[in-house]
Amino acid sequence: MGKIQEYSVLRVDLTNQTVKRETIAGEKVEKYLGGRGLASKILYDEIDPKVDPLSPENKLIYATGLLTGTAASTGGRYMVVTKGPLTGTIASSNSGGFFGAEMRFSGNDMIIFEGKSDKPVYLSIKGDKAELKDASHVWGKKVNETTDMLIEEFGDDNAKVSCIGPAGENQVLFASIMNEKNRAAGRTGVGAVMGSKNLKAVVVKSDENKVNYDKESAMEVVRKQTKMLKEDGVTGEGLPALGTKVLDNIINSSGLYPTKNFQFGTFDKTEEVSGEALVEKGYLQSNKGCYGCPIRCGRDVKLPNGRAGEGPEYETGWAFGADCGVDDINAITEANFLCNELGIDTISAGTTIACAMELYEKGYIDKEELQNGPELNFGSSESIVYYTKQLAYREGFGDKLAMGSYRLADSKGHPELSMSVKKQELPAYDPRGVQGHGLNYVTSNRGGCHVRGYMISPEIIGAPEKLDPQELKGKPEWVKIFQDLTAVIDSVGMCLFTSFALGLDDYREIVNAGTDFNYNSDELLQVGERIYNLERKFNLEAGISPKEDTLPKRFTEDPLPDGPQKGAISKFEEILPKYYEERGWTPEGQISQNKLNELGL
Amino acid sequence: MKVKVKLYSLFRLNLKTSEVNYEFENTATIEDLIKRLDDDFSGYFSAKLLNSSEIKTGSIILVNGENIFHIDKLKTKLNDQDIVTLFPPSAGG
Repeated sequence: MGKIQEYSVLRVDLTNQTVKRETIAGEKVEKYLGGRGLASKILYDEIDPKVDPLSPENKLIYATGLLTGTAASTGGRYMVVTKGPLTGTIASSNSGGFFGAEMRFSGNDMIIFEGKSDKPVYLSIKGDKAELKDASHVWGKKVNETTDMLIEEFGDDNAKVSCIGPAGENQVLFASIMNEKNRAAGRTGVGAVMGSKNLKAVVVKSDENKVNYDKESAMEVVRKQTKMLKEDGVTGEGLPALGTKVLDNIINSSGLYPTKNFQFGTFDKTEEVSGEALVEKGYLQSNKGCYGCPIRCGRDVKLPNGRAGEGPEYETGWAFGADCGVDDINAITEANFLCNELGIDTISAGTTIACAMELYEKGYIDKEELQNGPELNFGSSESIVYYTKQLAYREGFGDKLAMGSYRLADSKGHPELSMSVKKQELPAYDPRGVQGHGLNYVTSNRGGCHVRGYMISPEIIGAPEKLDPQELKGKPEWVKIFQDLTAVIDSVGMCLFTSFALGLDDYREIVNAGTDFNYNSDELLQVGERIYNLERKFNLEAGISPKEDTLPKRFTEDPLPDGPQKGAISKFEEILPKYYEERGWTPEGQISQNKLNELGL
Repeated sequence: MKVKVKLYSLFRLNLKTSEVNYEFENTATIEDLIKRLDDDFSGYFSAKLLNSSEIKTGSIILVNGENIFHIDKLKTKLNDQDIVTLFPPSAGG
């Protein structure tokens, strides 16, 4: 038998409560790798892109990457792919930890959930035995409680649990799926789809490692790449020391740290809430890593009141912090812990509350609507904690927050105050300060998002080379390559953070070493391009118009009012036509027949 | 000429210093400033920021919020009351 080529699939029919095994042929794997790419292909082939995301006709796919569970550095990731309820686009959300590797060890490279169970269930995988079990006793329980209870019931402390919390059950449109309590498939509302299917969790423990790859040739490459990751200043020293929160001061000093729902580009209390502050205040306990990771950017944090958990990451700290005008790191961290326990995407939760604060301060939300909840003023640390809880349970005003900022602002007649693209909330970089990154927001296939093509790396950090953030020339080409390469990394099952130190040739080398495939670098990048175009095709057929490739008008009409980038606006409209051309799309944003033929779509 | 230097990330944590103020008699560039810092902190700054007299990939040197890469790199001239912000190679996301 050859090394990794086919994909072993578990197909779980929730309506009829059946589980069966199938295989995906090697040709399809060669064209789409695994993870995000292969699961997107299966979703595209098996559902009508127009289905209601929360109906039984939608499917939910857990997919390990091509190299997940091998020795590849950071090769432990899994992807959840479905049609997203927040955006209506294809949704895929990636998570680390150890669950993905355990799933792969068990011989289940992918799990396809279809239909809807008539009562709460969870999928139990014990060695070769996979079965649906009753989950009534954990329905309503938080992520941490569910995880502990299911591990005890399973009878093996080494079992890994991926589950939803109350937010997923209540179909909060940005509910996450959490594994090992603190790792999140956070964005795009994959947890709401899981909840709509009455599926609470997946518990897995392998009895032997079934990943069949060439360890010897892979290890040679892994040793080299681990050394590269260890010796690189970013992945070897910066990320291990401060985690992602090293970015607070970088982005604030550069003038694109979104503050008070993106009304400003700097936050004067950043020093209080930064990654450095977490260390200096003594809250950081230790750093930790995911499966196979030499970087170890995760952090265990303990607050003075004794509450402990993982986080906050940069995005989370910003969403509940600067974006809500809050400078209380205890409240920010508490809101983060709540999101993990209740199963909520921290970026959308924080930015939706920030949007509500602007609506409230401008008089578009009445005090009565808050039903005795705290006033939604910028700077209110009480509000971020209170409303995070409320939205997970859809209690009081939380029921409106649970729909995300776009639907909330739209219901008040002010959709322009939702800082979102395709109804998904934007992350922690003001697009007026980074022109390429703004173009990436606009063209991201899962709506407002920074990890579909992280242009902050060249435009602010300077890796692999430093680009002027305000320059327009060359940016469409950069964005396209970053988006295609990201699709490759997501499908291989490695962490995006490796790309600060590794390049396309390195990914080719490890893929070829671990599998029977033999790509050259152009071919591998073309796989990424194929995946990107397939996702776009899904979205177009779902009825997402290219007119939605746009930013809230705040970014194109209101110049940044403060900081070193004062006066800047987003000029994405000037470079979008060139981006379409680079992609081989029509001037209207449709994929040309030539491009479809070239990519075999 | 007075220049304020703000230190973050590993500089701040390892040197237990968040800010340094320098006075230069004549004109000075970023290169001169790094020399002064090296004198005071045992060569730590060029070790982290530079790679054989080039800016190391991922190092961020800002003058009043603007990256010196887009001014005049290490030859960027400093002016009175400038604020220089230094980050060793760092990233997140």
